[in-house]
Amino acid sequence: MFARLGRWSNLFTRALGAALLLGACGVSALTPAAAQTPAVLRMARNAEPGIFIPWLIDDNTALFTMGNVYDGLLRVTKDGASVEPALATSWDTSADGLTWTFQLRPGVKFSDGTPLTSNDVKVSLDLARGGQRTVWKDNYKAIKEIQTPDPMTVNIILNAPHAPLLSELAMFPAWIMQADMATATEAPGYDDAKNWASKGTGGYYTESFQKGEPVILKRNPYYWKNTPAVDEVDIEYVPDDNTRVLKLQGGEDDIVDFVPFSQIDQLNALPGIKAQDFPIQQTTFVILNVTKPPLDDLNVRQALNYATDKDAIIKSVFFGQAQVMNAPIPLGTYVDKESPGYPYDLARAQALMAASSVPNGFTLPMIVPNNNQDRINTAIILKDEWAKIGINVDIQPLESSAWRAAFHGEGNFMSTPAAWTNDMNDPTEIVNYAMRGGEGSGSFAYWTRYNNPDLSAKITAADLEQDAAKREAEYVDIQRTYLKDAPLVFIANLGATAAWRSNVSGFLIDGLSYYRFEDVTLNR
Amino acid sequence: MGRASYIRKRLILSVFVLFGVTIVIFGMVHFLPGDPATILLGDRATTQNIAALRDQLGLNRSLPEQYWLFVSGLAQGQMGTSLTFHQPVRDMVLSRVPISIGLAVYAMALAAAITLAFGLLAAVNKGRWIDQVIRVGFLFILTTPSFWFGILLILVLSLGLKWFPVAGFGATLQEHVWYLFLPALTLSLQLSAVLIRNLRSQVILTSRSDFVRTARAKGLHERLVLLRHVLRNALLSTVTIFGLQFGFLVGGTLVIETVFAVPGMGQLLFTSITGRDYPVIQAITVVSAILVIIVNLLVDLSYSFLDPRVTYE
Repeated sequence: MFARLGRWSNLFTRALGAALLLGACGVSALTPAAAQTPAVLRMARNAEPGIFIPWLIDDNTALFTMGNVYDGLLRVTKDGASVEPALATSWDTSADGLTWTFQLRPGVKFSDGTPLTSNDVKVSLDLARGGQRTVWKDNYKAIKEIQTPDPMTVNIILNAPHAPLLSELAMFPAWIMQADMATATEAPGYDDAKNWASKGTGGYYTESFQKGEPVILKRNPYYWKNTPAVDEVDIEYVPDDNTRVLKLQGGEDDIVDFVPFSQIDQLNALPGIKAQDFPIQQTTFVILNVTKPPLDDLNVRQALNYATDKDAIIKSVFFGQAQVMNAPIPLGTYVDKESPGYPYDLARAQALMAASSVPNGFTLPMIVPNNNQDRINTAIILKDEWAKIGINVDIQPLESSAWRAAFHGEGNFMSTPAAWTNDMNDPTEIVNYAMRGGEGSGSFAYWTRYNNPDLSAKITAADLEQDAAKREAEYVDIQRTYLKDAPLVFIANLGATAAWRSNVSGFLIDGLSYYRFEDVTLNR
Repeated sequence: MGRASYIRKRLILSVFVLFGVTIVIFGMVHFLPGDPATILLGDRATTQNIAALRDQLGLNRSLPEQYWLFVSGLAQGQMGTSLTFHQPVRDMVLSRVPISIGLAVYAMALAAAITLAFGLLAAVNKGRWIDQVIRVGFLFILTTPSFWFGILLILVLSLGLKWFPVAGFGATLQEHVWYLFLPALTLSLQLSAVLIRNLRSQVILTSRSDFVRTARAKGLHERLVLLRHVLRNALLSTVTIFGLQFGFLVGGTLVIETVFAVPGMGQLLFTSITGRDYPVIQAITVVSAILVIIVNLLVDLSYSFLDPRVTYE
């Protein structure tokens, strides 16, 4: 038919040539790093920030970015275990524990050169605890009033003694904005125009941000801890885990976050790349709805815990980058270091099942977010492990938002794998959220519907206790009770992963998972 | 009916189509399980702060009220404020439209070139090994998930040969062309896989027609037979599929823009669906529907250029 069409292969060549030409037209003039300057650190991260106003922040991306822009009166130490001076150099409390006096650090300036005064602190904290828009006022309800006797002194008056105050002041909603800017955030329409400009006392500031473009952190020349070594940090949004790692390998980025656990060892084997799992206060576990039979039976809940081979999950799901979760709170302040946990003990689990309301086993529906491979894999392993005690896990993958709605809503679920990350170094947040039950709790003991009034009373008492040693003992007691009652299946303590090229040094994800750029140096 | 009145009629119909789209998309996003306030607050959500945030986001209004605000805003060119990013949705979406259209057009241009090249090559070599290789090769591409194929291209062309950047968008037009080549190629190869099969069979079929035999009988050069008679007639159905595939491209960019970190509508839609950012999902759907309507109209109009016998009724 087309016997004489040999030369028509020319058309093939031309068409294909046109396709390649389209892409190649820019190649000769460009290289991946063409537009970069030596003092710019390039980072790729897995999400974009939502808002930059401290007491409106509700996403981790904004939080970890603005941690480099704003300071509080105090800040959390690098290991996340305690607090240290930041904008306040010293503090004191009255004998009745109701008045706290903070002395501000002399010579601190915002990134526009204006000096920090006690008025900036008062305006910011008043908005965080009582502004029209704050979403964190519950965290500061212990504060009755803030006074500013002089420009360098702040008095915080409490309604009642409140032990976690210092930790709460080191939390992100209590970061200090310049007073005029803070006041302006209350105006209608502020978000649209100005939200992305930030003015803090931290190592960096932002001028603007357009979604879809990198977040540009610029060096604050007035930073009280001395100016950071890196002039600018460009943080671009690369949602795909594999692409981020490939961009690092290709030299297009200097640091990437959320490196899949499976790739840590692989990356460390490559020349010029370092990958690390930083210890942070994060746990992963299975939530059990204790109001749903047979999960209302303590024997069943404890049997599930004993039948869980945590080491197997850590090895298979987290590629060894995790530790067994023995205590019911993350590895931070007042964690019960001697907590026995639930060691893997199949015989004991079988005995507990035999003594339970369902000695012949049962089917346990488990909802799983379909975009989280670690949790899907955890569920698959649990299905295999719990089959040994007669429990048939019915894995039900749900789209991530539908999954969250399912266990936060009416409580029509039986079990789900989940995780928790501490926002503050004090255990008050986690115990109030995960262990206090009942209608008033807000979270129904991390949606387990567990409700132990005695335990709730102990949690309230621990918040009021001023003596550190006594308070620690109270928290250990709280953790032991909760561990025994087992509303969760405790699995592992997790870290936060990142990888960087060898020209970067000093990068740190601290104990509360903030990304700290202040000590980073860069060699090009 | 003349072309002008045909276009007028189609545009009027489009208004009704768009109205239908607004109802469907509003219904879909609001009846999906999952609540933006709960998602935004994540692990820190409590019943109290969920309620406060729902109130702040206007989610406690009745559904008809929310729908009316959506449609009346749309009629005035307003699309509300993003629940997640606290920015005007119109600016967020419209700034990404050129990027996604650019990527789609880029992919279509590459697809057209690839389809013409490989489709004709397969047809003229019907039954020979080269035909078999092309058919099996593109069948493989068609059945491969685009995100996997994209990463394969990155590994070979970016990390291996260092011809193209891994991902991103660049700052200048020249950089955009360079950065978008791999995502456009990924999309275009999958699109071509469908088109090549069609073009190949149409060329073979058309070449058996009487008018082609007549053209040959009158001594026309084989090259002109193919170009003027075979290809032009064979292209008609390929162009139809090409136009219909624009919808595929709009959907395909969702995954590809995520893999290649291209800040287009697809990537924004991906983030917005996960976060149940209703105003953004609604706006992107409406904008995408408008684009698909326009492209389909253009495809229909192109028939009369390819085949003068086509009239509009």
